[in-house]
This record gives sequence, C-alpha cells and structure tokens, in this order.
Amino acid sequence: MAGAFRRVKDRRLSEVKQITVPNDLAAAKRPEELILGEVARCGYSQNIAFAIKLALEEAMTNAFRHGNKCDPAKNIHVRYDITNEKIEIEVCDEGEGFSPDTVPDPTLPEYIDRPHGRGIMLMRAYLDEVSYHCNGTAVRLVKINRQE
Amino acid sequence: MQPPRIPSKPLVETPFSYDVERRGDAAVVHLSGSCTMGESARLTETLVSLASEPVKLIVVDMACLDFIESTGLGGIIAGHLRCRRNQGEVRLAGPVPSICHLLELTRLNQLFRVTKTVEEALRAN
Repeated sequence: MAGAFRRVKDRRLSEVKQITVPNDLAAAKRPEELILGEVARCGYSQNIAFAIKLALEEAMTNAFRHGNKCDPAKNIHVRYDITNEKIEIEVCDEGEGFSPDTVPDPTLPEYIDRPHGRGIMLMRAYLDEVSYHCNGTAVRLVKINRQE
Repeated sequence: MQPPRIPSKPLVETPFSYDVERRGDAAVVHLSGSCTMGESARLTETLVSLASEPVKLIVVDMACLDFIESTGLGGIIAGHLRCRRNQGEVRLAGPVPSICHLLELTRLNQLFRVTKTVEEALRAN
C-alpha cells in the first residue's frame, strides 16, 4: 500500500494528507469532499475540478467494488498532495490486486455495450497520469495545472 | 515565485433525482442533479425495470443532469440491453457539454441516438 505514497511523502512530508474510510459508498464520498474543497481553495478551474471528481468517483468505486469486493470490514486509504502546480492523489484498497492490462478497451465495438469497464479509461482520459502500484491495489492519479 | 492562490468556486454536487413520464408507448426519464457512485444503482434499477415493460422507446432526459460516472453510464447501457431484448430503444436527450464530452470519449454517442431535446428524441425515426 505504501509504495507509491512513499515517493510523494519523501519529497514533501508536510503537504501530504491522508484519510482512511470504511469500505462503503457513503463513506467513500468524504475524501472526495475534502479533496474538491482543497482543489477549489487552490484556485483550480471548474474543468479540472470536474476531472478530479470523476477520477475520484471511478477510483473509489473500483476500490470499493473490485478491490475490497464490497466487504464492509475493509477500508479505503487515500493520500493527496495539492499544490499550485499539480494534484496528486493515491487510492489504495485492501484487496488482492489486479492487472490493469487485462481490462479491455471499452470503446472497441465488441465491448461498447458492456455495462462495466469504463472507469480506468475515463480516469486516463481526464488526467495526466494514472498508474497502478502494489500489484494493482493502489492507483496514483495526477493532474497538472495548465492554463486553459 | 508562485502566483497567489485565488480560491475558485467549489464544484457543487446537486442531489440526484429522476421521474418517469409516460408518452403513449414511450417513456421519458427525466434525470436531475449529480448521478454519483452512491446513486447509480438507483438509476440502473429504474431503467432496467422500465425496459422490462412493453415500452418501445425510453428517452433519458439529461438536460438537468450535471454529473454522471461510469456506473451510471453502465446503468443506461443495462437499460438499453433490456430494452433491445424487447425490440425497444433507449435514446439520450439534451446532455450538457461536460456529459456530451463524456459520451464522446466513451463512444456511447455511437451506441445511443443523442438528440438536443426530448421532443426531437420522441420524433426521430
């Protein structure tokens, strides 16, 4: 769980914030509220806020459903570091992990009408970096603050 | 030196709601607010249940929908699959620009007929 976090932590310990929530969809909203509040305080645009909200919804849903298998005894761990230059977030579950390479492209004709499997694709479309660590139990999300 | 931080307007999350309007053998599902991870199951249940009825056309009115994530989109697809089984169709009407962009990225604009208004969706052949 700590692998990708540690890189952020080592660089600027004081600015990294962390929250752990129980594995349920209502509790999973709390990190999103905190992060979006911080995003607004830092003056990020509404488009970037939308991108972060969408990516967090996808990452938290994946952690809840696919990582922790809806198990209420498990937790979701979120760390974030928001500066004027970029937003870095990491979401970790307590599951067994997975390989993101095995998730098919949901925009291909043969998968277009599948109800599931769009979360990773959407995170990648809206963010500058989406990378998986710790056997797929941790996803690192990065959005750079560019002039729009 | 970094520029000063000027707080921006927070992204507002509005409560999600929906209502179903019958129009002959069609149904219009008016969505409103933010369809977030905690709400998408409700949307899925509603659309699949509606699509199980003898309804030839379901129009999902997105004009007042400001946010939807992938599970919510999956709920619309689940409704589409059930509707298709009964030779029916799901159409999407009036999505705001941010949701239009989402539909384009996922190419769901190729799976569904997307119209500007509900009336246009009901009229289209």
